Amino acid sequence: MEAQKVDMFMMANAKFFESHHLNSIRDRLIALDDAKWGQVQTLQFKDPTTSLIVSIIAGTLGIDRFMIGDTGLGIGKLLTCGGFYVWAIVDWFLIQGATREKNLEKLQTAIY
Amino acid sequence: MLRNRKNVHYLFVMIACTAGYVWLFFQLWSEESSAVGVCMFKHATGIPCPSCGATRSVLSILDGKVLEALYWNPIGFIVMSIMIACPLWICFDWITHRETFYKFYIAAEKRLRQKKVAIPLVLLIVSNWIWNIYKDV
Repeated sequence: MEAQKVDMFMMANAKFFESHHLNSIRDRLIALDDAKWGQVQTLQFKDPTTSLIVSIIAGTLGIDRFMIGDTGLGIGKLLTCGGFYVWAIVDWFLIQGATREKNLEKLQTAIY
Repeated sequence: MLRNRKNVHYLFVMIACTAGYVWLFFQLWSEESSAVGVCMFKHATGIPCPSCGATRSVLSILDGKVLEALYWNPIGFIVMSIMIACPLWICFDWITHRETFYKFYIAAEKRLRQKKVAIPLVLLIVSNWIWNIYKDV
């Protein structure tokens, strides 16, 4: 893959990934086959800021976890009213990282 | 990678179940059996959340009053079965060095994300919530 294209992609999507993953993502994309580029470019990532807002507003119902695809944890939060609110508050700080991890998983499944 | 995730997952479920049991025994031993007051959602908004009444429901099941449990909140049955099944299942996996629970969890998650399963469940939870608000648990 052309480095210029990859750099454009990285610039546009850097906020969706953990900073310590960015270098390896870039290297992986440069080594990627051209045929997969279309697939990678059309991926839709979840915005960490959006999930933080959802977490603050509807965290007790587990909607933030449902949104990023952690259905099991979402049900856990829903059934316990956000883990007696403790888990809901802890998730305000974890949800952005969790969203970025999910985005990385999504990218990985598209690449491999 | 899978192994590490599995361990974190098992640890998390065990901690959650332990917290649930501690809460339950605390409720059993405390004199006044008012489980109301822990739900911040209810404190903040004045209306009960979808799972309000689950503790009272579980306590009613333990007393053998099934109908009363159903009245408080049907979610109590789900919570109770999860709290009984999960630690036993994890112990089974731990003893036999398998990961059946984790695999089941992943498969169940995948299934729940299908629209034909998810939409009825969401409707069920919402209707239960409306009932909760109506009876003011």
